[in-house]
Amino acid sequence: MRFKSKKSQDTGLIVEMTPMIDIVFLLIIFFMVAAQFAQQARLEMKLPQERGESAKDSQNTGLVINIRNDGAIILDVDSPPITIDALDERVQMAVTSDSAPWESLLIRADQNASTTTLNEVLRLLNKHGLSATRIATEVP
Amino acid sequence: MRFSSSQKKHKLNRAAVNLSSMIDVTFLLLVYFIVTTVLATPEDLLTPALKVEEGTSLSVEELDPQIIEIRLQEGTPLYVIGSHLCPDRESLAQVLATLPIEPGLILRVSNEVPVGFAVAAIQVARDANFEKVTYVPAK
Repeated sequence: MRFKSKKSQDTGLIVEMTPMIDIVFLLIIFFMVAAQFAQQARLEMKLPQERGESAKDSQNTGLVINIRNDGAIILDVDSPPITIDALDERVQMAVTSDSAPWESLLIRADQNASTTTLNEVLRLLNKHGLSATRIATEVP
Repeated sequence: MRFSSSQKKHKLNRAAVNLSSMIDVTFLLLVYFIVTTVLATPEDLLTPALKVEEGTSLSVEELDPQIIEIRLQEGTPLYVIGSHLCPDRESLAQVLATLPIEPGLILRVSNEVPVGFAVAAIQVARDANFEKVTYVPAK
């Protein structure tokens, strides 16, 4: 009895892998870039867990003042803490420059930080004419 | 002149690169990045007005709105509205519900209070539909 071989038919089934590899590579690049951006954009801290005001212009920020839980004031994520006098100079520069509306600055203060530094920063901002502040919260 | 390409084609078809190991590595990389990527937590804003006390006290017009003192009492943060002492946001919300909304609220925040406790008062005031909420940092 002779069986018909199916080998010749099987070899004809070739799965096209190229589009899948393309998509997988694109996904890898996306996750690599997204991970990098997430690390660089914000200083990691525990913000107050509040719903906020659902402000539409929450992304429209100029200067970002970070206040860590030890009271250190940090402007740029990778730079060291600055003193209140150095902040005064930076705010003064922001006020005099025409590049961006400095009033849209954002304060990101750790929820466990003391209000001593926050109050000091707010008094400074008020001295430069700021009439309303924007305090960042983390949506729970 | 006739070129015979059938033999060459046949040979080229056989020269297939084995992609399975590369696909394995690629998938491993993909899984690694998916697992290690920390999604940025969504942030929002609270936007109280800002006023600094000049001289010894606020003017009479500014005293019209209700004033919430946020301060430490024996190491415990408290919201103080007149004679009401509120240790948490729930009791503060209950007191705010009894107050008129129109005059607005002034939050006079002392030093040494946790930021989260002060910011909670702004959120509770907003939730109670107070539009005029003013943050007054203590000296």
